[in-house]
Amino acid sequence: MVMRKSVVAFFAVLPPVACMALFTQFSFSQDLGQVHEVCSPHEGRCLTIRPPRVPATLNWKMPRTRDGKPDFTGVYAGAGFNHQVGPNDTDTPIIRGFDAKIMPPTKPGGDAILFRPTTGDLKIDDPIALCLPYGFTSQIFSPYAQQWIQAPNHLVIRHEFMNNFSRVIPLDNRPHPTDLEPTWGGHSVGHWEGDTLVIDTVGLKEWWLDNPHPNGSLWHSDAAHVIERVKWVAPRVVSYEVAMDDPKIWTKPWTEQFHMVLHPTWELLEFVCNENDRCSQGNCVESDAQKKR
Amino acid sequence: MTGKFLSLTAASFVVLLFTTTPFIAHHSEAAQFDTTKPVKVSGVVKKVEWMNPHIWFYIDVKDEKGNVTTWGFSGLPPGMAIRKGFTKDTLKVGETVVVQGFRAKDGSNNASGNILTFADGRQVFPGALELGTVPANKP
Repeated sequence: MVMRKSVVAFFAVLPPVACMALFTQFSFSQDLGQVHEVCSPHEGRCLTIRPPRVPATLNWKMPRTRDGKPDFTGVYAGAGFNHQVGPNDTDTPIIRGFDAKIMPPTKPGGDAILFRPTTGDLKIDDPIALCLPYGFTSQIFSPYAQQWIQAPNHLVIRHEFMNNFSRVIPLDNRPHPTDLEPTWGGHSVGHWEGDTLVIDTVGLKEWWLDNPHPNGSLWHSDAAHVIERVKWVAPRVVSYEVAMDDPKIWTKPWTEQFHMVLHPTWELLEFVCNENDRCSQGNCVESDAQKKR
Repeated sequence: MTGKFLSLTAASFVVLLFTTTPFIAHHSEAAQFDTTKPVKVSGVVKKVEWMNPHIWFYIDVKDEKGNVTTWGFSGLPPGMAIRKGFTKDTLKVGETVVVQGFRAKDGSNNASGNILTFADGRQVFPGALELGTVPANKP
């Protein structure tokens, strides 16, 4: 009799337990962070940032290489997107920059380096309009695909924009050269701290910090020292943290955290800016399609 | 289905683009196009240039006297367009469409191509990005 009651009880609770298990496995999802507003300094643009929403999975394992390191190989939507992880790859490209709320006060003279009011000279106001490099750190906010290719001793990051801008990063924590000529990509070296990849960059040319602004542009100096910290946090989602130390501009370093979302279906396309830049600087060139026969 | 997907995913951006946000786009479109000069034309697709840094498409527009002018419209970069579901097969040569955007600053027959409406009423937004807003109440 007791046995029969136990059997009945078992079958009575089975359906709800099974439903809960299915719900947990397939329906429950979590947001990696809060919806928040990001505004650029100097009355810049504001944008609502939506964190990635990921399905809960019980059996996810961090991708790893043969030598046991976290494997970041793949094509990503980076910080230049509002992310929504789902079956339809619906990440949305956005035009955003670093968050003014996170930045500490500037040093005397620092603000004149950081913010350049609109001049009328596109090389200052909007260099990418001249097909010049976006450069690092602007490249962080590229609203295009980026491809990470990881080998045991090197990481290669290829961006679709601008002109397939690429970074080749040794992962052996070698010292930076002491006589660096500043470049748009700077000099990067990487090392591992547990499952976190740390990339240290110096040697940057004084150039755009992030993205176009309504009334000017933001810049970092040639003293910028940038440390990126990258780690897997969920299926398809990587935490991407940027620590900026620019002693010519700010009174102390600051850090902002973003997400990158892996897109297995994406491919990086060729991007040649000069190919058909028809209205550069506001003067349009007539296309063959517009010429009178 | 594709048209529905595009309409749904882009509907939120276009409101920003034409109401709260001045037309400030990525590849210096603010320097190329005049946001005080909206353009709306109806015509036949003549050519699609699937190239960087932005796709261009050309529309033959006929006036009351039957004269044809070919307008050029700039859209998203190819990679960005593809990932939003706008492929090079979305717009077909010979198709009749209505295009809305902003005229080139040099006054030529070129414009940003922001809203594209097909004959069956479907709309796609080949020039739309989520840009955010510039708060008017900031000190």
